[in-house]
Amino acid sequence: MNWNMNNTNNIPGPHIDDDLKWKAKIFIAFVFVLFTILLLRLMNMQVFKGSYYESLARNNRIRIVSIPAQRGKILDRNMEVLADNRPAYNLIAIPEDISDVSSIAHRLAEILGSDEEDMVQRIREAKKRPYNPVALAKDISFHQMASIEAQLYTLPGVSIDATSERDYVLKELGSHVLGFLGEISRKQLDDLKHGSPYAPGDPIGKTGVESICEETLRGTKGVRIFEVDAMGRKTKILDEKPPVPGQDVVLTIDKRLQLAAYKSMAGRAGSVVAMDPRTGDILAMVSSPGFDPHVFLRPMAPEVWKGIVEDPMHPLENRPIRGQYSPGSVFKVIIAALALRNNFITPQDTVYCPGAYSLGDSTFKCWRRGGHGNVDLVSALAQSCDVYFYVLGERLGIDRISAFCLDLGLGRPTGIEFKDELSGLVPTKEWKYRRFGEQWHKGESVITAIGQGFTLVTPMQMAKVMSSVVNGGNVMTPRILASTEINMERTLNIREADLAVIREGLKAVVESEKGTARAVRDPNFAMGGKTGTVQVVSGYTSNLPDQSDLPYKIRDHAWFFGFSPVENPEIVAVAIIEHGGSGSSIAAPVVRDVIKEYYACKGPGDEQVCQDNR
Amino acid sequence: MSRYARITDNIDWGLITTALAIIFIGLLCLYSSSRGTSMTIFYKQLMWIAIGMLVMIVVFVVDYRVLLRSAWPLYILMVFGLVLVLIVGREISGARRWISLGPLGIQPSELAKLIVIIWLAYWGEQKKHIQGYGIRELMLPAFFIFIPVGLILVEPDLGTAGIVTLISCTLMLLLGIKRSTFVGLLIVFISAMPFIWFSLKEYQRLRILTFLDPSRDPLGSGYHALQSKIAVGSGGLLGKGFLEGTQTQLRFLPEHHTDFIFSVVAEEWGFAGSALLLLLYVALVTKITQIGFKAKDRFGTMICFGVAAFFTLHIFINIAMAIGIFPVVGVPLPFISYGGSFMLINWICIGLVLNIAWRRFMF
Repeated sequence: MNWNMNNTNNIPGPHIDDDLKWKAKIFIAFVFVLFTILLLRLMNMQVFKGSYYESLARNNRIRIVSIPAQRGKILDRNMEVLADNRPAYNLIAIPEDISDVSSIAHRLAEILGSDEEDMVQRIREAKKRPYNPVALAKDISFHQMASIEAQLYTLPGVSIDATSERDYVLKELGSHVLGFLGEISRKQLDDLKHGSPYAPGDPIGKTGVESICEETLRGTKGVRIFEVDAMGRKTKILDEKPPVPGQDVVLTIDKRLQLAAYKSMAGRAGSVVAMDPRTGDILAMVSSPGFDPHVFLRPMAPEVWKGIVEDPMHPLENRPIRGQYSPGSVFKVIIAALALRNNFITPQDTVYCPGAYSLGDSTFKCWRRGGHGNVDLVSALAQSCDVYFYVLGERLGIDRISAFCLDLGLGRPTGIEFKDELSGLVPTKEWKYRRFGEQWHKGESVITAIGQGFTLVTPMQMAKVMSSVVNGGNVMTPRILASTEINMERTLNIREADLAVIREGLKAVVESEKGTARAVRDPNFAMGGKTGTVQVVSGYTSNLPDQSDLPYKIRDHAWFFGFSPVENPEIVAVAIIEHGGSGSSIAAPVVRDVIKEYYACKGPGDEQVCQDNR
Repeated sequence: MSRYARITDNIDWGLITTALAIIFIGLLCLYSSSRGTSMTIFYKQLMWIAIGMLVMIVVFVVDYRVLLRSAWPLYILMVFGLVLVLIVGREISGARRWISLGPLGIQPSELAKLIVIIWLAYWGEQKKHIQGYGIRELMLPAFFIFIPVGLILVEPDLGTAGIVTLISCTLMLLLGIKRSTFVGLLIVFISAMPFIWFSLKEYQRLRILTFLDPSRDPLGSGYHALQSKIAVGSGGLLGKGFLEGTQTQLRFLPEHHTDFIFSVVAEEWGFAGSALLLLLYVALVTKITQIGFKAKDRFGTMICFGVAAFFTLHIFINIAMAIGIFPVVGVPLPFISYGGSFMLINWICIGLVLNIAWRRFMF
């Protein structure tokens, strides 16, 4: 260095004494130390840690924003929209740009009709991260949006963000089939592997079709990478990948049948399943009562949630696949088919019904005190004679009955696309021993034959089994998605003539003068079916003409299964009404209404489509 | 003709060249950081450089020993200015530091830094017969230094008050203090630390706490310090290039033409640029101390060391703050930070030193 002090000795000022010189040298040394500190620190930061700070600088200026993909629609079999997307508007604020908090909050609260103090709080809170846009209000009405939009120039820092919200057109009457969207949970996020397409706060199908078709419906998010300045203003877009909208999902459901079934349930607890026995297509699947799926779209108030969960009618339960009930007299159809197939009876064989059946020490009553007299298979089905089936039950024995039930697909999920189906129960001797540590009693086989034993079925299982009985013996897997392949699980190996006799008996239930469901006969179409009544509490007789005097909880469940036309049926419908009373008077009209709507929609000619009656 | 030749021959051109080189780097950064907003700042700075150089020539021409006679008038002028600023000063974000003079604003506290140097050098000249000052001798200068420092603290301008105090201490130490007195004062100072702490304003205390723990306030003064560190560090070895500094251009860097302008140098020119600037500063300070050694009287020597301390303290505190090893205080970077009064003082300092260097040949 040129400025070495030793060079300065040529003209030493006379005033500079040794003391000052010494101190001045310390001063200079001190200066050098200070500069060395700076230089070393700079070298450390810029040379050794340069790439670290470089990445910080990049994070500073680069924002990656995902662009949500439009979710696919859910359509019914006729391409009618069941779940749609509607435009929604969020009120967005950039806190830094709001200088006069109280006046802005006052005006926004006025437009939105919300609490001014709350609005002030929200803005103040947001000011902690002043450049981060926050939603002050979500999904404001079109009117509010227009009102704010018109005054936007006097509301600095406020803007409107257009997004889309799920719109369940069917509201509560499709709530169980379609399911609903909700914010992805912490747990779901954690469970998903790295590279999952979800971010916290993203919607995900929680139940129903929304859940099982999540991947199809979801689409792929787009991404926009842009550079921002310190104020968070965009300076330029660096890269952009547009979102790919989700694909639509077509269901086998017919919106009109769904509507008719729900209407006919009139809010009573229970469920309706309508199925095309030729294909397994589920035409209607109703769980009643329903709930409004829209309340799940965003965080709900605790009292709303409490109201739904604690509702004694259990609206959230998806009864068609999760409601497990004794089959009641509908089960007699299965016993009849089994007895015919295994040649235990012929259609012509008669049984004398005196009104009760004795086995050992026990006496089993027929629902009709006076008895039915001599009954053959057709009249036994038509009049639902218990004694006839007690006899068959005793002869067949539980082993045959349960084996046949398993063949039909009872005791396990039906195979419909929903994942949370329950299996029901097919009792066997082994099962009883395991469960109760007791031997099987013959009397239990007798009871099982009229559907009052341990057997449990879901309405979906009932629809599947009854379809296979009336369609010529083909066990069809129910399907809710039009994209699922039609699947025939097996054939039952029952002679067509025997099946024809059963259909005749089932037709007689509705169409004969003594039939238990003669009240629902419709002049416009022929219908077969079977009633069923499930005693919830034993000891109360189910043959009271009117159970409305009994407490709700101990009233019988009412079943009805119906199909039409009787030859080559196109529709099978099953209804159960919990604590509804007797099946013939309560559940049968629901099935009749669904089948009636089916014909109404079909119209006189196949080409004609009935008017949407909504 | 020969006299003219002697004048130019004995001018220390090296000092002027060094200052001009630093100014050139400063102008590049100022251009870079004011681009896109307002170039007014850049042109104003050019104007102040011109004014500063003219004033430097005036200061150079008049024999510095005139200052021995005008030390007291200057001192009174300084106190007057510091009082005036408290009365008529423009209040900007809670502090009164500027007096408006038409379109220009001047900062009396900047002027005070220089006048305190001159006054102390003058005072030392009066007492040069005393070998090592004791408490009794120090009472007077301490009182007369405390007046401007106190007034600056009232503004408030902690950075400037600190600088004035540190320059004064440096000069007093160079003038000579008795060893026992020095040790005693050191003990008093250390035990007074807690009282100084509690006399600080809330925001000043917060800044120091934030410096010790930046996560205390990541969006306040911690934010400034962090953004500055990011700017410096991300410059890397060779920098992002002229006008390419993202921290500067996208305004992440606060106060990027005044207190944090070093970060612009470091970001756009990298370690190469910042090391070069440091080298230029070392050259400047060394050159000034060298002239101090050669000065023909103690008054000149003291002024030179005062000026050297003045530059060193500003450079160190400013850069240390930008690289996160010193709390955020408002201390500008000589010849580079935007600001008229400060640029003027920088040039007056250079003028004085040149004056002292030149006049050692004049007997």
